[in-house]
Amino acid sequence: MLHLLGVNLPDQKVVSVALTYFYGIGPTTARKICSRLSFHKECKLSELTEGQLNQLSGVLSEMTIENDLKRQVSANVQHLRQIGTYVGKRHAMGLPVHGQNTRNNARTAKKLNGKLLRKYSTTSTTAFAMFQSPLSKHV
Amino acid sequence: MAEGGSNSKKLRSGTATAVNTVGANPEYYVSNVQTNLRTLDESTANDAHINKFMEIDGAFLDGIGKGHLPGVLEADFKLFGRPALLYRKLTQQLVDQLAKHAGAEATAAAAAVPKRASVIDGKNGAGKSAELMKLASVAAASGHIVIYASSTVSWVNSSRPYAPANDSDLFVQHEVTMDLLRSVASLSKEALGKVPLGKSVVVGKKTLAADKTLADLVEFGIHTPSLAHDVLENLLAIASAQKQVPVLIALDSVNTLWCATSYTDQQDVVLPASRLRLVNAFLPFFEGKAAVASGWVVGATSYVEPRFMPKDLRLKLNPPPMVPLANADVASDPSIARPASEVPFEVIKVDRLSADEAQALMLFYHKTSVISTPVTNALVAKKWVFADGNPREIFKSVTTYF
Repeated sequence: MLHLLGVNLPDQKVVSVALTYFYGIGPTTARKICSRLSFHKECKLSELTEGQLNQLSGVLSEMTIENDLKRQVSANVQHLRQIGTYVGKRHAMGLPVHGQNTRNNARTAKKLNGKLLRKYSTTSTTAFAMFQSPLSKHV
Repeated sequence: MAEGGSNSKKLRSGTATAVNTVGANPEYYVSNVQTNLRTLDESTANDAHINKFMEIDGAFLDGIGKGHLPGVLEADFKLFGRPALLYRKLTQQLVDQLAKHAGAEATAAAAAVPKRASVIDGKNGAGKSAELMKLASVAAASGHIVIYASSTVSWVNSSRPYAPANDSDLFVQHEVTMDLLRSVASLSKEALGKVPLGKSVVVGKKTLAADKTLADLVEFGIHTPSLAHDVLENLLAIASAQKQVPVLIALDSVNTLWCATSYTDQQDVVLPASRLRLVNAFLPFFEGKAAVASGWVVGATSYVEPRFMPKDLRLKLNPPPMVPLANADVASDPSIARPASEVPFEVIKVDRLSADEAQALMLFYHKTSVISTPVTNALVAKKWVFADGNPREIFKSVTTYF
């Protein structure tokens, strides 16, 4: 296994597939990275030279991935909550944000939304405690 | 693999077995038939061997490398137990052309007409790759400098490393080029040693003296991956200009020279084949911009991977039937679009097998236990007609159960 920027990448995988193991990189971004660095489509991680690995690390360092991306997403949701937007409130209530029906379904939203908010508590959120999800520990 | 030994047998399916088959049930185990086949070389490539199976020289196959045989030939050779191909009338025509191009001491008339490359075209399974391989084998045996690529698909399908060139907008493939140089060195060791460079050749920081030969140049290229492209380009330039030793440039799947590759540039834009330096080295020969002074440039198309067969090339090679326009006004109207069918090379069509060739094929299959039923004229006629004379279709029809 190759350890790169805090992630264990499987050696025997093709580079464009291995890069998707990073949070924030999908097949399209992985393919673009391979094109930028001139890695052929069947190139495996184990075939890369040290110079190529350094180049790859350099390109990945320029991108927002892993914890940086998670922090950014979390901060975006926090910001929406703080400024009192509708979207922020929906996140806080753990309900769908994009106008979906809640009469039925909405299971995924109830499970996932507001998770980022539950991690961080600020004084401004306590005033809206009644709007928070019953699962919230901040009530 | 118990092949060639006195107790060696194989299963009726054609698979060889290492099991000791002395006293084995003859219903299941068939003795390996020892067929004495002549090796295809310059002495045996003549009219007397038409419609006979001949073995490809082992040294030639070693030069190409195991696993690099074109198409399904490797599987076929394994099934037959030997690398044998049918010597057809077309093969003899190609061999005659090879001799004509090689021996072409220029008459003034011949020199005045620029030589065009030839491309062998035909349906899937017609035998294009096999014909090219036989031609390359005969050329190698008769002392040509043979530059033979058994499949150029690996040049364009993004399976081998590539990198942008430092000094141009082309892309280089050092490993593929080195493999090609190794193959050239292996197939034409003696021929390369007969041709001096003629002038000092500068490759990178190294200068090769004028008295060195092409063999030294190729050897240098094999050991210096970063300069392999420069070496190949110099090899093609010097070999095509000289007349001492004839040259055969044979590329299988030659349609890849004009295709959109699976490679991309740094902006993730698909690269056309002409952006690859390796392809660029051979393209002028097939576009009529370069020619060999003594020798021949041949290619064979392949329809196995349609993504590497450009649509316009396919149309040019197989133009739709065009009815001549009777009305002179309509015929002279420039807005009437008719598909272009002119190509910068000569097209040699591989036709269907003749009845005699089909019979020779089936008899060989019977001898090598690919089929166990006796080969009668009726069986040959049936298979030949239903397969429309296509060798691959005949093979499929005799080896499938249903």
